Amino acid sequence: MSALDNNAKEIAKDAGDEGVTTSSPEINQKEQDNRSAGPVILFFIFGLFASLILGWIIFPKLLYSKKKQPIDFNHVLHVAEVEDGCESCHFFREDGTYSGVPKLEQCIDCHEEIQGDSPDEIKFVEEYVSKGREVPWLIYSRQPDCVFFSHAAHVKVAGMDCVTCHGHIGESESLKIYEENRITGYSRDIWGKSIGGFKKNTWDRMKMDDCAECHQEKTANIERTDVKTPTNRLIDHLIDVVYPGTSKSGKGSSIQTERDACFVCHK
Amino acid sequence: MKIDRRSFLSFLIGGAAGTTLSPLTWKLMDDSAIWTQMWPWTPVPEDGEASYVNSACSLCSGGCGITVRKIDDRAVKIEGMKEHPVNNGGLCLLGLSGLQLLYGPTRVRTPLKRVGKRGQGRWEKISWKDAVSEVSETLGELREKGQSHTAGIISGSDRGTVPRLFDRFLTVYGSPNLMRTSSIIDSYELTLHLMQGVQALPGFDFENADFILSFGSGIIDGWGSPVRMFRANSTWCNTGGKVIQIEPRLSNTAAKSDKWIPINPGTEASLALGIAHVIIKESLYDAGFINYYSEGFEDWKRFVLDEYGPDSVATVTGIDSTTIIALARSFARASKPLAICGRGQGTTPGSLNECTAVHALNALVGNINKKGGIFAVAEPDYINWPEIEMDDSAAAGMQKGRLDGAGSKKYPFSRHLLNRLPQAVNSGEKYPLKALFVAGANPLYTMSDSKAVKKAFDKVPFVVSFSSYMDETAQNADLILPNHAYLERYEDIPTPAGMPKPVIGLSRPVVEPQFNTKHTGDVIILLAKAMGGNIADAFAWNSYDECLKETLGYKWRVMVEKGFWSYPDIFVQTHEKSFDTVSGKFEFAPKETGSLKQFKPVNIEGDKTNYPLLLIPYDSIRLANGVVGDPPFVMKSVDDTVLKGTDVFIELNPKTAGEHGLREGQLAMLSTPVGKARVKVHLFDGIMPGLVALPRGLGHTAFDDYLAGKGINFNELIGPVEDSVSGLDAAWGIRVKLAKA
Amino acid sequence: MKHKKAKKYGMVIDLDKCTGCGSCMVACMAENNVPFRKDESDKLLSITWMRIYKLTNGKPFPNIDICYLPRPCMHCEGQHEGHSPCVTVCPAIATDYSIETGIVSQIYTRCFGCRYCMASCPYHARYFNWWDPVWPDGMEKYLSPNVSPRMRGVVEKCSFCFHRYQMAKEKAFMEGRRELKEDEYQTACTQACPAGAITFGDLNNPNHAVHRMVKPDLKHHGRPTNPNAFRLLERLGTNPKVYYLSSREWVRRAGDNYLEKEVKLKKTVHHG
Repeated sequence: MSALDNNAKEIAKDAGDEGVTTSSPEINQKEQDNRSAGPVILFFIFGLFASLILGWIIFPKLLYSKKKQPIDFNHVLHVAEVEDGCESCHFFREDGTYSGVPKLEQCIDCHEEIQGDSPDEIKFVEEYVSKGREVPWLIYSRQPDCVFFSHAAHVKVAGMDCVTCHGHIGESESLKIYEENRITGYSRDIWGKSIGGFKKNTWDRMKMDDCAECHQEKTANIERTDVKTPTNRLIDHLIDVVYPGTSKSGKGSSIQTERDACFVCHK
Repeated sequence: MKIDRRSFLSFLIGGAAGTTLSPLTWKLMDDSAIWTQMWPWTPVPEDGEASYVNSACSLCSGGCGITVRKIDDRAVKIEGMKEHPVNNGGLCLLGLSGLQLLYGPTRVRTPLKRVGKRGQGRWEKISWKDAVSEVSETLGELREKGQSHTAGIISGSDRGTVPRLFDRFLTVYGSPNLMRTSSIIDSYELTLHLMQGVQALPGFDFENADFILSFGSGIIDGWGSPVRMFRANSTWCNTGGKVIQIEPRLSNTAAKSDKWIPINPGTEASLALGIAHVIIKESLYDAGFINYYSEGFEDWKRFVLDEYGPDSVATVTGIDSTTIIALARSFARASKPLAICGRGQGTTPGSLNECTAVHALNALVGNINKKGGIFAVAEPDYINWPEIEMDDSAAAGMQKGRLDGAGSKKYPFSRHLLNRLPQAVNSGEKYPLKALFVAGANPLYTMSDSKAVKKAFDKVPFVVSFSSYMDETAQNADLILPNHAYLERYEDIPTPAGMPKPVIGLSRPVVEPQFNTKHTGDVIILLAKAMGGNIADAFAWNSYDECLKETLGYKWRVMVEKGFWSYPDIFVQTHEKSFDTVSGKFEFAPKETGSLKQFKPVNIEGDKTNYPLLLIPYDSIRLANGVVGDPPFVMKSVDDTVLKGTDVFIELNPKTAGEHGLREGQLAMLSTPVGKARVKVHLFDGIMPGLVALPRGLGHTAFDDYLAGKGINFNELIGPVEDSVSGLDAAWGIRVKLAKA
Repeated sequence: MKHKKAKKYGMVIDLDKCTGCGSCMVACMAENNVPFRKDESDKLLSITWMRIYKLTNGKPFPNIDICYLPRPCMHCEGQHEGHSPCVTVCPAIATDYSIETGIVSQIYTRCFGCRYCMASCPYHARYFNWWDPVWPDGMEKYLSPNVSPRMRGVVEKCSFCFHRYQMAKEKAFMEGRRELKEDEYQTACTQACPAGAITFGDLNNPNHAVHRMVKPDLKHHGRPTNPNAFRLLERLGTNPKVYYLSSREWVRRAGDNYLEKEVKLKKTVHHG
């Protein structure tokens, strides 16, 4: 007998069984429930838990690679030494641009020679200062290339402090592990520490929604400064198309989004 | 417990439910969306501190000031320097794309020595030490054999410290053969020498002129200092200055001029004399200047009145006599008229007759060394080095006479006749050329009759290129000693072509040298030291930078600060002191040039029966045809009626095309007595019937894939025609035939 | 009124001065990280935010005349402010119109490459990236951090060098100012033009050169009142913010190109 015939028989048998069950559906159903309700629920729970564990615990571990900073840095120690707080090292340039992470040039004033005996200090002086190499710092808050962010507008004009977005990094004694998203290549601090996207503090996440949230809250009384995510804008836009004038659109500088024009923050 | 189908399904459903409640899918979706927006292979330019460095552009002889924007140690943008006397903020497209040369793939990254056959492109990297000693040994051997005169240099310029170091080296070594690449400047220098008795460059006060009579000069096509000319052209728009453009093709300059007068090619000198005829006949000339400060006017007047009547000139030039008369009147009656010559960008010197005829027009209206006129600008004498101590072999070498025949009995007034070099080498009549240095020049591309030039190069056993880029000449060299790119080195940039007052620019290192290159100035000094003896003594500096600093003296500090040194305003000389001829006056008919009867049009190559049409080149600012070729950005700006794929278009009047049965876009074969080329046809009403125009600047075989192999090099189709008085290349075109391909 | 303080950045290009030299094209490419390929002779595929067109009067030798016409993005205002042809058709809101500056943006990461905007742009000012940009080894060093390099599959166009506006603003903020001076924000092409043919500034500001040059009638969508000034395809009602000046009549006619026999459409009611 060929395999094909076998298959045909099986199918016929299945069909026969089906015929039997349909003849007295109620009794059969009950029997079956009694027979396997327990294991079925159990397996459902197994599946549920397995995937929850996978999604909430294993997945984040797989998604982010952990990278150590080239050398450790003690913010507390340095803040105590300098006069102008954060802006002593993270300063504004004359042209209004923001210097971000300091260059070797700034460190060299004090670190020409080894200060103290910490191994990181020795490494810093020997590996970088004396060789004139810049330290390849991993930057927690580096935004994608498509983002234009003006520190001057936020700090000099709106008078915001560093903590609102960067948290209490200035009070840290050592640098935390840098976690890099294996798909996008961006720092975990951008997407947020919580894999579920929950957020307790303003500095927990630095995505577009977070900019939008703050802009709506803090500048509600100022015209044309709202930010909204494109998705929300799209929804608003669609609502506008279907039911004109009903969306909750504010007054923005962009005709299309009725929020701030896109290229205020994107380049 | 048995895992049956239902349990398994249940497990999957549980799993699906769990996955939905976990961030896995949502996060993956978000991340992959972000990934598609920010593909990792799209470069992300590093941000940093912005700074600006003032320097000078030396990609052409225009001498523009540039300001380079830097981000940390990267140069990211070149802009024109504000307040610079030449360009005041503007910049041409070649200058703007200079970073593509600096960081581009055409850079020679280290000294190279040829391994395969010449031009095969097989090189071995060698150290600077080995490279320098190889050159010094070869030169040393020649000198020992008493053949120092067989060494030569082709240089892009003979002004500025680096060319002068070469000159000094060659002199103390014992060879007279420093040859400068030729241009209209050669003709002008000679004209000023013969008619005014001075050794000077022409300086045109365009900004103050109000009537420009241009004999084919591409005022806005790259003639002179291009950006300055663009600015001058705009000035005339504002002040109402008039431009009359005389040329057979509607160039950009012609299109922008107030009047375009098409002329039979090569008959410009006749027109100039025809205009002179009308001016003299109607007594419109500046009698004061003519009577007090000129010599030989009566002879010249008779000659012009006899032979250049408007009717006969009309026949020769194809311009009707009423136009000639009207032109002469408006030129002479303008308050600040100025006549200029040098076809297109002025890359070919042209005939001396033409230049003197045009210059005579300026004399007729008395605008020599006058506001709005033409000045004889003496080169500022800032290079004062100690006298050279020559030994016997150097003196003997210098006695031998130049290989190109400049300064010989035949051509006593010319200083450089590079166009005669290929023929001199190929014929071998005088003496062979045994070592050739090429710096700041790309003769294998820019010299006409490419085949003959290549043949001559093949006869020279030792060719050294100092090019920063792998150009045609470097490709065919035995040794390449790459110079720093212009944005990596200090160098003085002498007064730009046509400036009425001297301005020295300072090229400054904007970025650190990117590769293992060396300043050519330093190489000359090293070479001199390696040669020892008198030669080493003549080069007492430790480095080129030291030499430059010492040479510039008190100017150095200002130049570093401002980027240039500008001499006080135009030296307006009184006419008494202007002329240094035997008579002390302006010479209308310099006796040295022979009788006036020799005044005749240049005969170009080819006979009329076999080659019924005339081929002329045209220049465009979008096609660099000097030391460097077009970088990718500039290639991008080239119209698709000039180049399509790898095919270049010739411009043809629809009437001529009709006679040849050619349509727009059709392929055709172009043949001249010198070469053949396959081209495409572009119908253009802006060209006289009977002419074929081909752009200069294409057909490179070197540089990068963005440039090489596209179109035809015009120089492959034309050969030089010696001017009978100057010996300079006077060819303005060549006869050609056209057939369907 | 909200719009009163708003800027309307625009450009005036003097075609009598323009020499067609191409500096504006290259300055733009260098400023904006525009990619290039080995063969750029197919002009439909060649990305040039600023492109110079060559116009002729169509007459035979020797009466032929040529005029060059540089064409950036026109930053059309549209019939109702902000309803530029491209912006209204974008399904992704990847391009929008800013009332604050009057500039039409293009957000590359937002664009998914449907090219509706290209189809709707009557000026061919928009370009599609058919290929990933490739810079030969080492050449990516000159890329400017102020403009993101684009990727395959998105549309790009002239932004009036908006990043220069941002940079000028930042500098003003540092100096405690909120308003920009006329010369603080100039596009790369304006700055580079050796002939000084391009002028850039705020059309709403009577002190700015652009305003003085074209004297826009702000009640009628900024239509120029200078008789030598014109806008491209004026009758389409796109209301561009790029004006041209020419003393030659044929050039002005070519700018509002229409067929000889075409009936002039009756002007629709204004929504000023």
